[in-house]
Amino acid sequence: MARLQVSSGLRYASPVLIFLLLGFLAPLVTVVAYSFASPKSFEVFTSFTLANFSAVFDTTNSVWTSFVWSLGLAAVCTVLLAIIAYPIAYGLNHAFGRYASLVSVLFVFPLFVSENVRLYGWVQFFIKNGVVDGVLNSLGWGPAPEVLYSPGITLFGMVYTYLPFMLFPMTLGLSMVPQDLVDAAADLGGGRLMVWREIELPLAMPGILIGMLLTSVLAVGAVAEAKILGGQSVITVVHDIEIAFTYAQDWPLGAALAVLLVLIIGGLTLAVLSRLDLDRVLGRR
Amino acid sequence: MNHVSRRNLLKMMGVGAGAMALGGGSLLASSSAFAARNKELNILCWEGYNSAQVLDPFRSMTGATVKAESLTNDPTMINRLRGGETSVWDLINVNNPWARKVMAPAGLIKPLPRAEFDHYFDAMLPDFKAPYKWAMSEDGKDLLGMAQRFGPFNYVVNTKKISRATAEDTGWDLFNDPALAGKYGIQESDDWNVFDIFLIAGINPFVVHTPAEMEKFQQTAIKVFKGAKMVSDVASLNQAMVAGEIDLYLTGGTYTVSPARADGYPEMRGITPLRGPVDGKGGVSWIEITSVVNNPAISPLATDFLKYVQKPDVAHTVAFAEGTFNPVTQMGNPECFKLFTKEELDIIQWDSLAEEMSRCVEYDIVPEYAAALDMITAAKRMR
Repeated sequence: MARLQVSSGLRYASPVLIFLLLGFLAPLVTVVAYSFASPKSFEVFTSFTLANFSAVFDTTNSVWTSFVWSLGLAAVCTVLLAIIAYPIAYGLNHAFGRYASLVSVLFVFPLFVSENVRLYGWVQFFIKNGVVDGVLNSLGWGPAPEVLYSPGITLFGMVYTYLPFMLFPMTLGLSMVPQDLVDAAADLGGGRLMVWREIELPLAMPGILIGMLLTSVLAVGAVAEAKILGGQSVITVVHDIEIAFTYAQDWPLGAALAVLLVLIIGGLTLAVLSRLDLDRVLGRR
Repeated sequence: MNHVSRRNLLKMMGVGAGAMALGGGSLLASSSAFAARNKELNILCWEGYNSAQVLDPFRSMTGATVKAESLTNDPTMINRLRGGETSVWDLINVNNPWARKVMAPAGLIKPLPRAEFDHYFDAMLPDFKAPYKWAMSEDGKDLLGMAQRFGPFNYVVNTKKISRATAEDTGWDLFNDPALAGKYGIQESDDWNVFDIFLIAGINPFVVHTPAEMEKFQQTAIKVFKGAKMVSDVASLNQAMVAGEIDLYLTGGTYTVSPARADGYPEMRGITPLRGPVDGKGGVSWIEITSVVNNPAISPLATDFLKYVQKPDVAHTVAFAEGTFNPVTQMGNPECFKLFTKEELDIIQWDSLAEEMSRCVEYDIVPEYAAALDMITAAKRMR
């Protein structure tokens, strides 16, 4: 009976499986194949070389700094977001009451506007004679400190862009902490800090980890913030991939960088997911 | 060519998918690829030719489906054809050297019928009369494309901060001046930045270079990128100029600064240096050449479109299509020229265009481009 179920399930799933294989796996296979193609050629599937990877790992190649910037900025961004989003997520669950949905909408709303447009908006905000500088000047407190075109503003842009992706999984995680347990812990004499550390945080952890995973994966791939706000004061690895595919026209090198990035992000994701009980996160306790 | 191209591979995968989807049934669908294409036209171009102002009248005139994809660098477009997309595109619009030096020898484009097109050059500005070098094959026999938009492309200066005379006279040494460090930006067109770094180093970009020259290029790249306040896109650089964050930027010219001038900032100006290391010239110019792709199922509309954009009113629309504003070769035709208002002529710096072009060498291919680009990318990381 069980065997029959499996095979009919497979049968019904086959259109989707074929679709996934072609639409999802084929481009990925092509990218991987390109990473082993002769440098600066289009000889995909007809040549095999490790030259692209050895070029990346060549000691004279400074592309490692791009990996360091991307991974470093993503790590700091994720930690900052966890700290910033936690109180908001707590508020959405416990404090904002009937305003909670309004607050949620306010956080979702910017997602309807293109990321680039929002980032250009921030440039207007921080630029010389822009919103901040103009207001401070008119109050006689100017000029505003120069913040644009720096790694710091790149980080700010990333924190701003990825906030919703941390906030909502975290809100979901916190909403799954049974109030009874918190109350019981308090009744048994647990202080606020202890209840938070022993009850709330562990129970909300799956949501927090999913939020951190999502934001870090997205943030490693960030490029617009470094370009628009940061004035390319740092070159992220995705920007390097872009250069390889455009101005350099070295698709195999771009593919090799992309494969390395996928491996790093994939490894990170697997490491986190292996420590996570997805069933619990999805509420099927 | 014995290897499987990316496109062929994808095609095979597509056919395979079709076969699977049809349960191994008929492959008749694939024959539609060879159907007549007299009602469709695909254009690979710089922005402007893909605008509704240019394409819509052609669409209604011909009833055709016209698709245009715009990209902002030549190497990518050329490599789309190299990668197997010659069967997709009918027209390709790139800068001057690529048609005669790369695309024609590689068989990516095909010649135009000279009897139908040569006479259009008669009405162009004096520098573009037939046989116009960059529109012709290396042997001078074939007409490989039509010239339209062009312009000098060096650096842009806020003339309220640095006068036009000083900027022209100082030339590329502006970017060697420690006093201007932190006051300039760099436009992210890295292929042009390769030219500019050579010029700042006092080296002709378009010849074969010695290791010592490449070393000087590298040192100059590191210095210039370190001194830049920002590296960004055209819009951000113009915005930073207007806001006073920076006083000048490379690479730029009419093409990049015209939107700012149109917005009411005539003090922003594309500058061509008075002198430089290329036979005494220090400026570089670009001329777009639009060619017919060597597509096995070429649309008959490809040549029709090339004729359409020669019309005075359409040429004027091309000059002022969305995005950036540029002079066009058809301004040599009084019928076309009279369509330009005084404001429009001012936006494209018509007053100095001829003298600036005379101080420029035409965009060409840098022999060590790949190595130079790597040095630029490394210099960016060291900022």
